[in-house]
Amino acid sequence: MIEFASTFIVSAIQILLMLLATPLVCGIIRKTKARLQNRRGATIFQPYLDLSKLMRKEVIIPSTSSWIFRITPYVVLASMLLIALLVPTIFAPVPFHWMGDIITIIYLFAAARFFLALGGLDAGSAFGGLGSSREMSIASIVEPAMMLAVFTTAVTAGSTDLSIIVNRLSTTQASIIHPSHVLAFAGLFIVTIAETGRLPVDNPGTHLELTMIHEAMILEYSGRYLAFLELASQMKLLIFLSLLANMFAPVGMAIDTAPLSLIVGVAAFILKVAILAIVVALVETANAKLRLFRVPELLMVAFVLSLLALILYSIIGS
Amino acid sequence: MFDTQTISLGIEILAATILVTTFLIVSSRSLMFYVRLFAIQSFLLGLVALLVAVGFGETHILIAAILTIVVKATVIPIALSKVIDKIKVRKEIDFTINITTSLLLCALLVILADSVARPILEAQRMSDLAVFKVLPMSIAVMMIGLFIMIARKQAVSQIIGLLTMENGVFLSGLSITYGMPLIVEVGIFFDIFVAVLILGVFVFRINQTFDTINVDTIRRLRH
Amino acid sequence: MGYSLALPGFYFALLIGGFSFGAVVSLFFVRSNNANELTSQFVIRLGKNLGFGFSTLASLGGCALSLSVLLAGSPYQLEFGRTLPFGPLSINIDQLAAFFLAVISFLGIAVSIYSFGYTNEFVGRRNIAVFVFLYNVFLLSMALVVMAGNAILFLIVWEVMSVTTYFLIIYEHEDSSSRKAGILYIVMTHIGTALLLVMFITLAGFAHSFSFEAFRHVRTQIPPSVNTWIFLCALVGFGMKAGIVPLHIWLPEAHPAAPSNVSALMSGVMIKMGIYGMVRVFFDFLAPGPEWWGILVLFIAVASAVLGVLYALMEHDLKRLLAFHSIENIGIILMGIGAALLFSSFGSKTLAAVALLAGLYHVLNHAMFKGLLFLGAGSVVHATHTRNIDELGGLAKKLPWTMFFFLIGSAAISALPPLNGFISEWLTFQALLLGFDIPDLAVRLAVPVTVALLALTGALAAACFVKAFGVTFLGLPRSAHAEKAHESSFSMLFAMGILALACVAFGIAPGIMISLISRVTSSFFGESGSALSVLNVGTLTIPRGAGSGVSPLMLLSLLAGLIIAPIVVGFVLAGKIRTRTAMIWAGGLEKVEPRMQYTAAGFSKPIRMIFSNIFRATHEIEISEEMSAFYKPQIRYELKTESIFQKYLYAPVRQTTIAAAKIVRRIQTGHIQSYLAYIFITLILLLLFAR
Repeated sequence: MIEFASTFIVSAIQILLMLLATPLVCGIIRKTKARLQNRRGATIFQPYLDLSKLMRKEVIIPSTSSWIFRITPYVVLASMLLIALLVPTIFAPVPFHWMGDIITIIYLFAAARFFLALGGLDAGSAFGGLGSSREMSIASIVEPAMMLAVFTTAVTAGSTDLSIIVNRLSTTQASIIHPSHVLAFAGLFIVTIAETGRLPVDNPGTHLELTMIHEAMILEYSGRYLAFLELASQMKLLIFLSLLANMFAPVGMAIDTAPLSLIVGVAAFILKVAILAIVVALVETANAKLRLFRVPELLMVAFVLSLLALILYSIIGS
Repeated sequence: MFDTQTISLGIEILAATILVTTFLIVSSRSLMFYVRLFAIQSFLLGLVALLVAVGFGETHILIAAILTIVVKATVIPIALSKVIDKIKVRKEIDFTINITTSLLLCALLVILADSVARPILEAQRMSDLAVFKVLPMSIAVMMIGLFIMIARKQAVSQIIGLLTMENGVFLSGLSITYGMPLIVEVGIFFDIFVAVLILGVFVFRINQTFDTINVDTIRRLRH
Repeated sequence: MGYSLALPGFYFALLIGGFSFGAVVSLFFVRSNNANELTSQFVIRLGKNLGFGFSTLASLGGCALSLSVLLAGSPYQLEFGRTLPFGPLSINIDQLAAFFLAVISFLGIAVSIYSFGYTNEFVGRRNIAVFVFLYNVFLLSMALVVMAGNAILFLIVWEVMSVTTYFLIIYEHEDSSSRKAGILYIVMTHIGTALLLVMFITLAGFAHSFSFEAFRHVRTQIPPSVNTWIFLCALVGFGMKAGIVPLHIWLPEAHPAAPSNVSALMSGVMIKMGIYGMVRVFFDFLAPGPEWWGILVLFIAVASAVLGVLYALMEHDLKRLLAFHSIENIGIILMGIGAALLFSSFGSKTLAAVALLAGLYHVLNHAMFKGLLFLGAGSVVHATHTRNIDELGGLAKKLPWTMFFFLIGSAAISALPPLNGFISEWLTFQALLLGFDIPDLAVRLAVPVTVALLALTGALAAACFVKAFGVTFLGLPRSAHAEKAHESSFSMLFAMGILALACVAFGIAPGIMISLISRVTSSFFGESGSALSVLNVGTLTIPRGAGSGVSPLMLLSLLAGLIIAPIVVGFVLAGKIRTRTAMIWAGGLEKVEPRMQYTAAGFSKPIRMIFSNIFRATHEIEISEEMSAFYKPQIRYELKTESIFQKYLYAPVRQTTIAAAKIVRRIQTGHIQSYLAYIFITLILLLLFAR
């Protein structure tokens, strides 16, 4: 019973921490981008302010929409929260790790995307359809690339359970690390850029119909619904960064609940995510938005790299 | 300082990163991007050489490492970007083989490289893990370099292809014997350096004569 | 055995009797068609309802029969007609047969209930009695295919199944496309049957009997070359029925042509008869073969899955789209079977058991969600009289229940957790990943590629169902048909409800079905308990390696909790949600028009561009400039995608056949003397050879 309660408490803490950290990561990326572009930029806490304002605003529901439009923000946010429960951040294994493995996580992302795309189509506007169509097309290459990239580590660790993967990679000697992990990391990094709607795939900052993808899908959302969707998409970014950080560099990961290792875990996590966030900002600054039909070529790189990672792992000296 | 295993791991990871940069070259269409990636690739190669030199005490590789970083990662990229600036061609427009197909073909090349390298390694009983993993990748880099020369039409891309190929050769040399004799190494080096200079001048001239650096047009010389 | 309450004999009689009565009964009622219009309609309706009532009852019997066999663990056998020249006709329901019988019967129940309401619109317009007859015979023949215990009975009922399907495809025979689809189907399926005949005769040559039992006894005595021959015959013969690429071309023509309840049965179970045959021959009749068998099946599986879903994406015809998805799902099922073949050729029975289990579970799940989707499509077509989704839209408000069930079906086929499609895809992924345990280069190359393409298939399927569901049900109605749509009758909704519930149940409680299916796999591979275990709260675990698991029930309950949490937290933090309904921005026009929405063609355009090498799409834009250069009253856009199989495989074959036929025609002189001469020459040749 105590174990059961502690499972819930630890999970609740994990979710709350992720929720609190989420807007901050977004703020850091925006601030870094601003500095790189010689702007002063808003404070890194701006995303919190934006969200709290949106929470209090009125929601406009299109008269043409059905109940799909109204449940979408909740389903999308809930999926992200559920994934946040399954992804190891500062300690592994997470209490609920037996509930779902990496395949589950990827399909939960797919579920969120499925509803988001339906929400885009529901209002009956051209923009929504445009966004949904582009999102699903891009996802059709990104999703397999992601799956292959994470399978490379899964096969290394002999399990698809994310916590077990991270645990194994952090406790065993360096010999378990294989050069194919570099390819997988590169693949997953491109996937991260694409999945979280960053430049050069999508531009989170504009509403230009020629380029927008994610923003087009959620164009009809406002008020609290928009706040939930924004939070969900920021959370997705944090989840991807945690995946990148912890699957390929599980340094400092807490593997027990001793206070010291937890503190080290928190510090390592913050450091790794901050570095990755800055790298994302750098990539965003250094690249211009690609034309939509050039995007698949970039995504194919991710797909081919991830596939090669898995093949190389399976055939070369393992 | 470090044990052999850690150094081997470092070499493997750098080699995999080199393979990633090679794939990024294949995926791109901007000439400037090719050059930058090539610089990164050469820099990583220099690091591999450095690791071999320091880790296994092969001091003559040190010279090759420094040469690589200075010449391939700095001088040649700067020279090439100057050429690109001058000729004002920034993009690869038409391809012999489009990017998506190229990527898939290159993936096949990597598998092919592995199947080529495997019998050699198994016959030689190379128990060293680093060679086992790095040699296939370096052969793959060589093949992709040649592939770039086939798939791309701009003269600058051809140069990049050639240079990538040479990087692959150097990497495989490093992985098998921890470097060829210094004289061979330096010889290849100057060969490449001169080749790039000559090609650079060529590109410039071709552009002046034909108003393009698309090598297809050179066929006109037959008439 | 502790299952004395199970009465397989009674259930068997119910199954056979129910379908037979159902088939005959409505034929009697159509005869009394002499009273006035109203009574005659009433009588026909009564006959048809009786027919479907019997088929429902028989399907229930089938369910009970299969469950009793699965639980008892011993096969149910019957033999009759000992005087027949080929040996007795025997019924043998073993674990595998019972599993497939369960799939047929379960879908049979739902579709029969659906048919009560669905066929009402045929009354007075078509010969409904014939339809009911064919429907019952169709179900009966499928049940008998899996229950057959010898090759002759198998071939007879296989043929009955093919022919009834043909008549059901051309049921709406005034439509020339239906007739064409029927011809294509009957030709293709007979090529398949011919190969099966060859295969069974080869087997019988070794076994000296046509009974399956005898085939099993000689499985180790067949030389490898003959084994390969049998394997290839089975692969092509059964693959024809299953609709594998490149033998799939009949499927997207035939499935949409039939009435929707029949389409549901065809896609849900009939194509699975091909899978049944393959499993029966590969794992029951043949000893484990060389590894290229598995690689070949995996290759076909991958091609079917990817090409199936890609062609589905280009479809605007709702039922054709679903038919292409059947090809895709057959591919996913075959991935499990191919992996099982591959693993068993390396002697890893545990791995093979997991792979086969994944494939069989997908058979069941695909029957559920594809049945559901076809029934949903039937409701849509019933309500709007069009299958073109570009003429639909906004049906969410007109057909709320159909929409809800179709959403569940779409989510299940897109493998979204925690529904059933997700579980079987999860199992397939796990089974494939287990292949990394096998130290063989070919396996280690084949497995990552299969995994990659399975992942690609899953993502594309989700895209396709966002399109199919979104364009059909969401947004604004694109035509008058869609605007005047109405919800379907109760029996139709009830049937869809059963299947939707099954999709959810088989998703969140996979343990029940998996423990039943593992009885099937252990009948081939011995006890395979260690390969997969089902723990409490429906947690599915692969204990190999470091272990990995999934618990769909937990996922669903936590998801529900996490959906409620933001509502509560939002309320506490920022008060009650304030909403206002308003018209969306219409680009400056007064109100938003349906024409502004994305169409199905527009939706799938990016994917068409990405995979342009496969589609080879050509489009035509025609703009009639009547008024002025600035106002264009009519723009016609036509898009064609080319099937690489039609062009490079079937067209050459057809041309060669026609050319050959022209040569052969020369012997048709029309003179009786020459025909007599042929007979005479044949006779002489025979005498010479038979000397």
